[in-house]
Amino acid sequence: MLWVDKYRPKTLAQVIVHEDIAQNLTKLVTEQDCPHLLFYGPSGSGKKTLIMALLRQIFGPSAEKVKVENRNWKIDAGSRTIDLELTTLASTNHVELSPSDVGFQDRYIVQEIIKEMAKNRPIDTKGKKGFKVLVLNEVDKLSREAQHSLRRTMEKYSASCRLILCCNSSSKVTEAIRSRCLNIRINAPSAEQIVKVLEFVGKKEGLQLPSGFAARIAEKSNRNLRRAILSFETCRVQQYPFTSNQAIPPMDWEEYISEIATDIMKEQSPKRLFQVRGKVYELLINCIPPEIVLKRLLHELLKKLDAELKHEICHWAAYYEHRMRLGQKAIFHIEAFVAKFMSIYKAFLIATFG
Amino acid sequence: MGKRNNIVISSSDDEDYEPSSRLTRSYQKPKSTSSLTRTNPSRAKKPRLPGFRLTKQSSNVDEMRLAFRDFDEVLNGFKVSAGSRRSNPKELWVDKHKPSSLEELAVNKKKVEEVKSWFEERLMTPKDEVGRSSVLILSGQAGVGKSATVHLIASKIGAQLCEWNTPTPTIWQEHVHNSSAGMKYTSKLDEFENFVERVRKYGLISSSLNGNSKSSIILVIDDLPVTNGRSAFERLQRCLVLLVRSTRVPTAILVTDYGNADSSDLTARWLEELQLTLESAGASKVAFNPITNNSIKKTLSRICRQELCNVAAEEIDLIARASGGDIRHAITSLQLFCLKPNVELDLSSSNSTPSCPKENANVLNEFSGGFSSQYGRDETLTLFHALGKFLHNKRDTENVVALDQNAFRVGEKFSRLPFKMDSPEKILCQAHGQSRPITDFLHENVLDFVSDEAMDDAWAVASYLGDADLLLATSRRTLNRHSEIENVLQSAAASVAVRGVLYGNFHPSPSRWHAIRKPKLWQIEQSSSHNQNEMLRQRFMEDGGSSSLSEVSVIATEYRPVLKWVGYRKARDVETHESEDESVKRMSIDEEESEISDDDDIEDW
Repeated sequence: MLWVDKYRPKTLAQVIVHEDIAQNLTKLVTEQDCPHLLFYGPSGSGKKTLIMALLRQIFGPSAEKVKVENRNWKIDAGSRTIDLELTTLASTNHVELSPSDVGFQDRYIVQEIIKEMAKNRPIDTKGKKGFKVLVLNEVDKLSREAQHSLRRTMEKYSASCRLILCCNSSSKVTEAIRSRCLNIRINAPSAEQIVKVLEFVGKKEGLQLPSGFAARIAEKSNRNLRRAILSFETCRVQQYPFTSNQAIPPMDWEEYISEIATDIMKEQSPKRLFQVRGKVYELLINCIPPEIVLKRLLHELLKKLDAELKHEICHWAAYYEHRMRLGQKAIFHIEAFVAKFMSIYKAFLIATFG
Repeated sequence: MGKRNNIVISSSDDEDYEPSSRLTRSYQKPKSTSSLTRTNPSRAKKPRLPGFRLTKQSSNVDEMRLAFRDFDEVLNGFKVSAGSRRSNPKELWVDKHKPSSLEELAVNKKKVEEVKSWFEERLMTPKDEVGRSSVLILSGQAGVGKSATVHLIASKIGAQLCEWNTPTPTIWQEHVHNSSAGMKYTSKLDEFENFVERVRKYGLISSSLNGNSKSSIILVIDDLPVTNGRSAFERLQRCLVLLVRSTRVPTAILVTDYGNADSSDLTARWLEELQLTLESAGASKVAFNPITNNSIKKTLSRICRQELCNVAAEEIDLIARASGGDIRHAITSLQLFCLKPNVELDLSSSNSTPSCPKENANVLNEFSGGFSSQYGRDETLTLFHALGKFLHNKRDTENVVALDQNAFRVGEKFSRLPFKMDSPEKILCQAHGQSRPITDFLHENVLDFVSDEAMDDAWAVASYLGDADLLLATSRRTLNRHSEIENVLQSAAASVAVRGVLYGNFHPSPSRWHAIRKPKLWQIEQSSSHNQNEMLRQRFMEDGGSSSLSEVSVIATEYRPVLKWVGYRKARDVETHESEDESVKRMSIDEEESEISDDDDIEDW
């Protein structure tokens, strides 16, 4: 088991990083009922950990007895039926799903599936805890329509069902939903907090940490706790005992993207563009989100770029990133960005070196 | 005669009715002279039996039909004697002007000769010669004269023609009626099988030979029975292969090729398969090409002469071109054209300057769009043909069209030479292209066609394709609600994609042969969504059943790379052995999956 999973706090009491929030949550659920919750904060800050611990707090250990299911849904949408496939994770008391995984048809998921789940109220012999918890991930990626139907669902089934929403940015969640939830902001952990956690893990694993090593990992991790622990473990595999100037290995896809950047810098031609497309496909097959690909690609290109072009390139990257979010097939827009870059860079080279 | 006059008068009444933009064209003439063919609408409704083609052969063709129950009765009831043929004005010209000699036949002489010599050879040589099948497959699209050729050749070499026509299908009401009357239903395929069985075993000793002891008989199977579903098709195939192997009567099987029109159609593919199996079973095959414009024109003008109607050469040309090599269609169009010479033209001329088409061929060309919808079959293109047009980007070498004075001018940089093809939208229509696949195909292939130096062009193309994608994405969102809007958006997107490709590719690479690939994107999408589900499941196993779903992006960008690193160490662990095995399994499934999906995609096209 990875360290991230192994040392994930199981209960609210064990939480190290966001202790204050954990305490508040404990208080919140001792009152039997809880409102709808909206957790938001950057990736790797501990949202899911807190949610899981909270569920355990509410339902006891039974919340951890879950089974994962890949279910097919047939939804009757008037003139036609739609087939959807979605992975859900369910215990007796809660169901967790990421409705945005099904893409643009997410509103059917929200409308039908959540409705259906919310209707089935669990019956407890003692008659208490008569509500079910739905955990929805990546709410910010839901389409407008889906968010609107979500709002209706929240109102209609609030008697039998509590929603716990989880997202990175609350700005992409509609006002209507936000106002119906208790918003809980989870900050990215500070570098000191990360170092603290890493030292905790190191102690449990019985490792010697050279001074400054944990701080370097924390700095590299970009305040992402999960990332920090993962790269800590990678370093452990790579080399032990640690040395304080040990290189922290990058993720393989990051290396791949920097390779693409090198390709782009080397030659600017439609043929090369075609090769780049093949490599981007490779990344997309492995489910690397296109936004991240584009961002990382820009990052790598900027490293190698002449200062006077940087501004223009950033502008185009932003332009195509926006269009990518509006559009449907990311590759079109990534490719357009690469083509634009090549075209600018080629003109620049010709102007400079003739 | 009095009747004739009546008609002419009534049509001149018509003219008075709309005096405004009267056409003083040559159509006036056919109107008065072609009254022979003018049919009283009520008389035109002669009961024609759908499904049966009454072969009104001239007397030298010995006509014979194999009887299927009611078939005989029908024939007896409706057989038209050859003598009354020419004078019957209510007849369709297609039947009336059936070629009566090989010279009149519009089919390519060489093909005819080929078929004829085949038949002669089969009829001359002793029948028990082994090793040669006596089956000939004639394939070709509808209306290229397959049946006519066989009929004429039979009459020429003096053979008896024995024809099996596909019987009319039983409709449900009929079936109910029949079964209540105690008749057993036999499927048409069964009937065909029985027939073939009989022919194979006993030859053609039919009662209807009426003692005519001519030795040479030709069996014609005109169009195969309709099969629905794979099993029925296989039955048909088996039965035909048996026929090919064992029959001793020279047999011609006429297969109508639906060919390129809808290549996605399963039946078309089955027909191809059928022909291949028959050929491998020993049948010879002659493929008929669509009839050339010139032959059609010749035939049409001959008919015009015989019908005494004066049709301008341009119109004949137009009808011939619009028919797409289908002579039956061309003749019918001609008849229609001569029937009511003015009605449509009035409509179209009301919004353009009335002028005599004889003098002004240009105007006629402008009409051509309208004409083809009235008289022509809609031309179809295969998707790949259309894509090829877009990608190769054929343009005139110089700008021949003189610039209009008040035309909208574009800068030097943005102007492009005129197309050497129809407007892209028209081609899209002809190819029945849906915008999403069109865009995907263009995206996949366009970079091959951009010159190696022209990076700016590549960017322009990529950017336009992105625009098309945006439009398509918007249309997805408004799905179901406004289908009209969606349609407009779809066509706009396709138009943007196509024109973007055409415009952007200013410096096309020197044209050479490129294979057009299937968009890799589809495969990528499929395997990516498959991977996604797998990742979620695996992650769930990996983390020892911790009770939470992780986001796919997080798994892909963070967990998986680390797991790969850690994997080396973990290899010793039994637990991970299992998971690795699983991943290996998964990969093999992946491959299979993508292969299967390949097939699916091809099927779609």
